[in-house]
Amino acid sequence: MGESRRQSSPPGRVCVLWALLILGVSFAGPAGAAERLLVFAAASLQGTVDTIARRFEKAGGSGVTISFAASSTLARQIERGAAPDVYLSASPKWTDRLEAGRWLRPGTLANLLGNRLVLVAPARQAAAVPIHKGFPLARLLGDGRLVMGDPSHVPAGQYARAALETLGVWRMVAPRVAGTPTVRHALALVARGEAPYGIVYATDARADPNVAVVGVFPEEYHPTIHYTVAVPSSSTHPQAETFVNFLRSSGARSVFEAQGFVVKGTGR
Amino acid sequence: MSVWPLSPAEIEALLLSVRIAVWSTLASLPLAVLAGFVLARYRFWGKEIVNGVLHMPLVLPPVVTGYLLLLLLGRRGPVGAWLEQTFGLVLAFRWTGAVVAAAVVAFPLMVRPIRLSLEAIDQRLEAAAATLGAGRLWIWLTVTLPLSLPGMVVGAILGFTRSLGEFGATITFVSNIPGETQTLSLAVHSALQVPGNEPRALRLTVIIVLVTIVALVASEMLGRYVARRTQGHA
Repeated sequence: MGESRRQSSPPGRVCVLWALLILGVSFAGPAGAAERLLVFAAASLQGTVDTIARRFEKAGGSGVTISFAASSTLARQIERGAAPDVYLSASPKWTDRLEAGRWLRPGTLANLLGNRLVLVAPARQAAAVPIHKGFPLARLLGDGRLVMGDPSHVPAGQYARAALETLGVWRMVAPRVAGTPTVRHALALVARGEAPYGIVYATDARADPNVAVVGVFPEEYHPTIHYTVAVPSSSTHPQAETFVNFLRSSGARSVFEAQGFVVKGTGR
Repeated sequence: MSVWPLSPAEIEALLLSVRIAVWSTLASLPLAVLAGFVLARYRFWGKEIVNGVLHMPLVLPPVVTGYLLLLLLGRRGPVGAWLEQTFGLVLAFRWTGAVVAAAVVAFPLMVRPIRLSLEAIDQRLEAAAATLGAGRLWIWLTVTLPLSLPGMVVGAILGFTRSLGEFGATITFVSNIPGETQTLSLAVHSALQVPGNEPRALRLTVIIVLVTIVALVASEMLGRYVARRTQGHA
């Protein structure tokens, strides 16, 4: 190395500089982050809820920050003290759990959307796969992987597993399944051609031109897909319920429907 | 909460972690010695660039390293497709891919101490061996290698421990498949995603802490043993 070291500055000056640096860094956080509305949303809502949030802001609502992840991951974060103002889950399972644990503001839990489950393949090698009892999915996979949201917790993976169980093929394909942290990871792996098949929502498939839908799972083969919305009890933001109502406005409805979601009534 | 006995799934994750870390260390050690040697002894154009590229996995976020590996070594990646066509070797979604991810991330940690120990060797010892008629390979084997052994041991230990704990590059490159690529760290991550799964995460955490303590004590003992040996020789 051999370069001669410069004479170091007096220790006192170094300490002062260091303290100033730390002070500077600690004040450099995003200004006014506290007043923004924090939304926790299922990963499959990426591309729709953010569009709707921008419209909400344009319509005079407060700024919206969105954290996308698997619904299960978000539910766990809420149980562990994360304090979002709105929680959008791809499965009633996780909102029901939070409701049972009194993590939700009473009376705010409602159904919002419906969706369909599809089998996708990379767009350039897609051939239709008829989905029926005992369809030869394992043979189609060969030594490739079937990607889906991790069936142990990600809602899309849980719906997919239920459908494959009803179709009597789960036991055959289970060893070939690669579970991903969110359904969108599975989508990306099929789009890149790393996996020959994946199971995602119809709306996900529409979001990526590099995948093609090769089969649609009949709805009676899996629990009905319900997206639920709720305001967590820890929320103090005055516009939390305003945002939930905005999700039901005609403007939001057109965004959801353009992506292929089925917009539901407010009933439970 | 009792950790013992381990469930079959936990044993599977534990063995997989150790297997991946051992292979990762074995595979990258010779390359790390070569890289350390070249960097310590040779001057050439672009040396700093080579040095920078070798150290990149240390600085890059592991998820970026994993993504780059997927782009390069995935079944559709330029190198991955070639490996599959030429050798029938598939890395994506396989434990072998996890070895590659761990090895790449651990590599700079192995090169650094090896390079330093090679630079610290008094080259007059090698010159003396040469005047006594020893060939270059013989000098390397009998003088250079033994003197740099402590650096290699430290490098191997650092590489092994880093491989054992690898997470970001692994989950990005080879996903999280139980029995294939789900190491202990990935199993903890999985357990933490699910509400109400805390006991499982806690059990796995205890296992990891125990494994880490064993690995650290063993490496400390190995390091001392080697240091004593080399000092005895020098």
